[in-house]
Amino acid sequence: MELYLPIAEISINPSIFLILGMSVGILSGMFGVGGGFLMTPLLVLLGIPPAVAVASEANHIVGSSLSGTIGHLKRKAVDIKLGNLLLIGGIIGSFVGIGIFNSLIKIGLVDLLITLTYFFFLTGVGSFMLYESLDSLGYLKKKKRKRAYHHSWIMGLPFRMRFKKSGLYISIIPPLIVGFVVGILASIMGVGGGFIMIPAMIYIIRMPTSVVIGTSLYQIIFVTAIVTLLHAFHNQTVDVVLALILLLGGAIGAQIGVKLSSKLEGPYLRVALGVLVLSVGIVMASDLLIRPEETITLIRGGGSH
Amino acid sequence: MIKNYLKIFSITLIITAQAPLDLVIDTNERDIVIEPGISGTKIVLFGVTPTGKRDIIIEVVGPPKNQTMQEKRSYFGFWLGRGKSYYKNVPSYYNLLSSKPLEEITNQEGLNKLGLGIEHLPLGKADIKYSKIKQSEFDQRLRSEMFKNGQFFENQSNIILRSGPGKVGLFKTEFSLPPNSLQGKYFVRYFLFQNGEAISYAESTIDLKQAGFARLIWLFANKFALLYGIIAIILSGLLGWVVSLIFSRYKLT
Repeated sequence: MELYLPIAEISINPSIFLILGMSVGILSGMFGVGGGFLMTPLLVLLGIPPAVAVASEANHIVGSSLSGTIGHLKRKAVDIKLGNLLLIGGIIGSFVGIGIFNSLIKIGLVDLLITLTYFFFLTGVGSFMLYESLDSLGYLKKKKRKRAYHHSWIMGLPFRMRFKKSGLYISIIPPLIVGFVVGILASIMGVGGGFIMIPAMIYIIRMPTSVVIGTSLYQIIFVTAIVTLLHAFHNQTVDVVLALILLLGGAIGAQIGVKLSSKLEGPYLRVALGVLVLSVGIVMASDLLIRPEETITLIRGGGSH
Repeated sequence: MIKNYLKIFSITLIITAQAPLDLVIDTNERDIVIEPGISGTKIVLFGVTPTGKRDIIIEVVGPPKNQTMQEKRSYFGFWLGRGKSYYKNVPSYYNLLSSKPLEEITNQEGLNKLGLGIEHLPLGKADIKYSKIKQSEFDQRLRSEMFKNGQFFENQSNIILRSGPGKVGLFKTEFSLPPNSLQGKYFVRYFLFQNGEAISYAESTIDLKQAGFARLIWLFANKFALLYGIIAIILSGLLGWVVSLIFSRYKLT
């Protein structure tokens, strides 16, 4: 069976996209990431023009993260109060990011920025998570034992607030800054930013892993909704047919992922996410570091008329 | 791939027997309405020619489209595509059909004179940014990529010639427009060759219009962009919510 995508302007086999949506959905529900950093390159690989892939992917994540959030809400594993703080920072950050993005377009450095941001964050975040989680599982030699509460200067910041779900009594400044920075990166990279947000929530804000996933998904709903709207309005690149096919698979996958996440222990979950992020980073690195067969190529979907 | 929804349209070309060196064609513009994307649209061109040693070349050029080429260069060991070449008016479709292999109809000089063939297709002046590569090199790569992507064709020996009653011969050719063909005017040029020389010429246009549900979505996304975005978000949220409801209803989670 063939289906025509009205905005991507190609015919596709829907069953492949359903399965793809479902696989990424499982990861999404399990790890609390939107899955954009995985899905976007895969869609491009399947022939969707990059601009349409980024925008439709954001549209898809709105629904899949909503589905995942509802699942986590039932387990009382969402800290809405903390999520809102991250979201406020994130929205401000994403507008700043779009500003940076547009000024870089003018000097022709935007592709360079996107590729390098992807590369450094995927490999950096991936290897850090892998190292940390293996360390806490006791697989690595403990040269210097980390103190449990060494973020004394973070603890000392003013405007403290109590977050019952996370069991934290902390300043509101770190969550706002984390949200802000992730918002900038997310809008530059065209993803929800879950894979950067999650380690930041665990290692900087020190939220318990059980609450991190649901809270991350909760704020991703809103971030991706804004991204979808901006792309639809400015570029007309949101393919709603593509997004809904991915979502049909993705929402089902997210529910399965939620179920799986409650069965895995925190450190093991982080090992798995670290491996996943790192391997996507390595695949991207090979594309960056290996001399391409053809240096001059046509950009698909490079502007329609 | 099943070719359901195959639609056949025809353009008639008449070359009268009385005046064998003239091409008289029906110059009425043809409107073709297609439902985009099912499996492409088949177009049939046919007409009448004088019999004898005649050959026909038909060229079809689609409406223009923006295209961008990029040049990857190594910056500190990273291969990045900074150099760009922006084209404004690249034909979105090109097809050169002939009744015999081209070299048996005429020589390269004959083709050059008439501007026939992918290498003669005008691409317009490109706006080159952050690259020292000449436009001719970008042009050459663009032509070969369009050919590889199935947007530029050379369907040699695709035109069938048959002898008809008296001194009248028939020709017929068919080709498919790809599913993602742009709507707009497709210019068709017909050349009648004898002994390597073009002895007659005619032209017509096909106006391709898209219809159907996919076209409606496209129009909506482009004309009412903000509303489209809002609806896209609501639909996505709704579907996500319904799926989670189904899961909790049947206690799957």
